[in-house]
Amino acid sequence: MKKRLALVIIVQLALVAVGVAPQLSARAAGEEYRVRVAAADPIDPFRGAYVVLAYPDLSRGDGSFSADGGLGALEDGRSGPVYVTLAEDDGLLRATGFHRSRPDSGPYLACDDRDWQIRCGIESWFASQSEARELGQELAEDGAIAVVRIDSRGNAALVGLETR
Amino acid sequence: MRGDPATPHHVDMDTDVTPRPTGRPATPAQLEWLGRELVAWRAEGLVQDDQADAILRRYHATRRFSLARLLLALGAVFVGVGLIWLVAANLDQLPPLLRFLAVASIWLALLIGGEVLHARHLMLPSQVVGAVRLMAALAFGAVVFQAAQSLQVPAFEPLLVGLWGIGALVHAYAVRGFGPLLVGIPTLVTWFVWQVLWDAPSAFAAVLALAVAAVAAVSAGALHERGLRQFGPVWREVGAALVLAALFTAALPAVTMADFGWSPWLVVGAATSGLVAGAAILLCRGPARLEPVGALLVLAASVLMVLWDAGDNPDVLTLADWVHAAVSVVVYVVVAVAVAVLGILRNSWRLTALATAGLVVFTTVQSFAVFAQIIEGAWLFLALGLVFLGTGYLFDRARRELAATLEGGDR
Repeated sequence: MKKRLALVIIVQLALVAVGVAPQLSARAAGEEYRVRVAAADPIDPFRGAYVVLAYPDLSRGDGSFSADGGLGALEDGRSGPVYVTLAEDDGLLRATGFHRSRPDSGPYLACDDRDWQIRCGIESWFASQSEARELGQELAEDGAIAVVRIDSRGNAALVGLETR
Repeated sequence: MRGDPATPHHVDMDTDVTPRPTGRPATPAQLEWLGRELVAWRAEGLVQDDQADAILRRYHATRRFSLARLLLALGAVFVGVGLIWLVAANLDQLPPLLRFLAVASIWLALLIGGEVLHARHLMLPSQVVGAVRLMAALAFGAVVFQAAQSLQVPAFEPLLVGLWGIGALVHAYAVRGFGPLLVGIPTLVTWFVWQVLWDAPSAFAAVLALAVAAVAAVSAGALHERGLRQFGPVWREVGAALVLAALFTAALPAVTMADFGWSPWLVVGAATSGLVAGAAILLCRGPARLEPVGALLVLAASVLMVLWDAGDNPDVLTLADWVHAAVSVVVYVVVAVAVAVLGILRNSWRLTALATAGLVVFTTVQSFAVFAQIIEGAWLFLALGLVFLGTGYLFDRARRELAATLEGGDR
């Protein structure tokens, strides 16, 4: 029984690692970038309070604010992986293109638009209820800088928010 | 020593000194029935008084056990859900890593604690062990969500639910525990249907996902005839619910092939279901091998139902709409009767109740879809009532005749 129990523990921990693998990879092996950020909403009753972030410099189209996060829609009649090529301008990241195939070199973000909007896994910032409320207000008024780590495969992890 | 009467020296040392009732457990209703039968048997001379007393002494009433089981299961579910909710609401003062470690410690304590309690099962009723295992399976979900939250993983993807389901199933099979199985199967089914619709959303994809999951679940239930038989009913009953759900969805007039595309996970699911069904048909004996065949037939019927596009305009009822509704009712009644008969053969009241509930909901929806456009108000209820009466009569008659034939065949 001890062996079986050890097997359950190892398999379940491995599954947890699979669930967070892209973020772990980005945090462990990624390079740090800064990107301008604006905010939205809300609270998830199952997973806690969080602030939905919008990235005007990474958004497709006019960069208008989206209440549910995301970088806009590609509107090419397809859905699936989207790769956002990036360039640094005055210390801040900007999107330079949106592609269906993986770029040969970075930096780029590996995203997905199966939920209509392009999402890259950096659209929500979990925080305590009070912190989320304060952050939401600060972001709406002054904006902020998001600190993200991006690895060579385009996996991104949001590691910090710097309010102005 | 063989044949010697048992003495205290033959029993393992047990520190539990609580007096326990001897004999097998039975509900008060069962004991009441047995008592009435024994009176009749005595009167007919089938048993003597001392024999009747000896038979009655073999059993003891167990109402408190079922109440205990209910309370333990409810308590475990509340604690487990509360734990996941705790992740969301009340741990926010802790740093993310500490929060993860706190939830992981609770999960590990429950996981290991359940097996330690199981090893000392002589001191505790098995329901307590089951409740702890159930909490451990729910706590694993909390660990997955907490890890995701601590690393700012976005909440919108189905992957996390799937990982939770796989982990719970691994737990269930490793320790032979019902609680983790009851968590693992629904979460895995939820993930599969969600993932398929996430990849390529369409009504037909939903039908296929439900039907493919049904084939896999029913086949897994049949395969358990070969081992771990106690897990078979759970898979079978979930499979039956999915069979009825798939057919229900396929029969809805609005469900068409529009926007359908094969998603990778639907292909993987279909291939896996095919393999499990093939294994079940090859390896099982007797009626059990018919169960995956039945699920595959429902899959085929569901596909045909959607391919048969009765009419484009929902406001205009054509002859094709009537025929579509009539055929779908007949097919659904046949499948519901099959599920009900399976319930009789497998001694599962849940399967029979499931078939009845499915039929009531299906008949109501189909009747409203067809009759609501030509009759209104009280007449609609009258028509619906007549449809219920007719379907119920046919359902019950078919179920009884089929069950009698099958049980006769077994003898």
